[in-house]
Amino acid sequence: MHVVVLIKQVLDPEIPARAFRVDRLLQVPNVDRAPYVMSVFDGNALEVALKLREAKGGDVKITAVSLGPKGAEEMLRKALALTADAAVLINAEANSMDSMGKAKLLAAAIRTLDAVDLILAGRQAADWEAGQVGVMVAEELGLPCVPFVSRINPDGGSLKLRRELDDGYQTIRLPGPAVLTITNDETNVLRSAKVKDVMMAARKPLTTLSPADLGFSGEAAADPAIETLDLTVPEPRKRAEMIEGENLQAGARALARRLLELGAL
Amino acid sequence: MTNVLVAALVGNGAVSGAVLDLLGGAADLAAQTGGQVTVAALGPGAARCASALISHGADLVLTCEEDALATHPGEAGALALVAASQATGATVILFPADTSGRDWAPRLAYRLGAGLVTDVTGWAEADGRLVWSRLVFGGKAEAKMASRRPVTIATVKPGAAKARRPDPERTGEARDLGLTITPDPAWPQVLETAVEQSSGPKLEEAKVIVSGGRGLGGPENFRYLAQLGAVLGAAVGASRAAVDEGWVPATWQIGQTGKAVAPDLYIAVGISGASQHLVGCSRSKVIVAINTDPDAPIFEHARLGLVGDYKEVLPTLTEALKEMLQK
Repeated sequence: MHVVVLIKQVLDPEIPARAFRVDRLLQVPNVDRAPYVMSVFDGNALEVALKLREAKGGDVKITAVSLGPKGAEEMLRKALALTADAAVLINAEANSMDSMGKAKLLAAAIRTLDAVDLILAGRQAADWEAGQVGVMVAEELGLPCVPFVSRINPDGGSLKLRRELDDGYQTIRLPGPAVLTITNDETNVLRSAKVKDVMMAARKPLTTLSPADLGFSGEAAADPAIETLDLTVPEPRKRAEMIEGENLQAGARALARRLLELGAL
Repeated sequence: MTNVLVAALVGNGAVSGAVLDLLGGAADLAAQTGGQVTVAALGPGAARCASALISHGADLVLTCEEDALATHPGEAGALALVAASQATGATVILFPADTSGRDWAPRLAYRLGAGLVTDVTGWAEADGRLVWSRLVFGGKAEAKMASRRPVTIATVKPGAAKARRPDPERTGEARDLGLTITPDPAWPQVLETAVEQSSGPKLEEAKVIVSGGRGLGGPENFRYLAQLGAVLGAAVGASRAAVDEGWVPATWQIGQTGKAVAPDLYIAVGISGASQHLVGCSRSKVIVAINTDPDAPIFEHARLGLVGDYKEVLPTLTEALKEMLQK
């Protein structure tokens, strides 16, 4: 079985709000010494793929595919260290592309790979939070799609999925190839890499492709469906009114009184 | 003239408050330009919602009650939505930003070649274009976006629009799309749907929410929150960290990718206040933070703060509020 995991490198979402600035002219974040990391839900997707391989007794090949700058190779090496078998970087400036453009490039790269049975992607990236590309890759490849999957279990020749709903969950039978977008739960928090696997990762194949290699000539970015008109950071707020007391019990009683004074109950 | 289509999954003839709110926003948008509002109500039992939808502002209700919408919701829904879009010629198509809307909107945008803006928190008209607001980078920034295609699709967060008061005299048309959907054997099939039952109010509807994070230290400690919640008639929620630890179900998650809530009172216990969490609770009227770390970002967003161990604070707070509320 061959599983492709789509992963994106993003500005570290753990950067505190008070350190977050944007360049309004370029409409991009402007953060000093910004660390870049694997987007969180993409990490959940990679973990789901690793768990599926374990459940199937190892007979699963995992290829990590990313679209982004040269620097995203570092993240792909991390995916290899987490025991993905191969990695592909489509090296392109993706910021100016719309979701459809990104989906077309990713789908074109997936078509160059050996027969793919399953494509996993995080439900949305931790930068622009659009949640569109995974579903559009399915459309572009003509595959069914199940968004918001948290777990995959082998079930005879097919797979059973757990899909999270707003007020519960569904059990879904997956008869064949599909794109799944992955959401977090306690079973798919991304593991850490083992030291020996980090060393092995350097020897695994990491292919870099350009859009031209995939038959694209820049049109993906030329006519985006959506344009960003402005990007701003909200004004910092006033600090909370801090409730104090001789001890925590007194503080708790003072808090109760203040809540009633404010008419919050 | 802007014709607006609102698309919604309808279960057993019941329309959610989120859909009625969205319909209110759609009706205002269409009214400004003399356009029509259509609701595509999808799912077994959808026809029974027609009168409620018309009284809340729909001019036309297009229904599709095929079983495939329940058993194969993503693939079947996309087919029904393409048909509904073509039937109405809508140039603005709105979905609630829930699991169905977030599933269907990108499929429809792809098939129609439309511009898609997801998780919008509001919109306004400027220079003859619709400008959509949305939170990005985990809620640390706000983007204004506009579509460059003739058809624009948006998924809309709760709170962006408000339902109209129902007018039982209002007239409109309701008809079936006349679509037969036969599931393809390659489509994913729903075997079972489990809806979580909770004794208290739903998070989306609760007046008071008590919410816990990683600072609670373990699942058993949510009982402190439940005890306070019982006194206040509150729902209990959680941060993503508590969900990732496996302490509470994913349906309790509040934040950018969980639920967006708007209670009168939100009590955050052991939650540090990551931006992606604050996005989900920022519409609360009063936020109270209880945390051992005086530098936790949650205190920058709360109205009231108390630094201390929740295990000492909550039992006293629960008792004090119980006494005061009885008086």
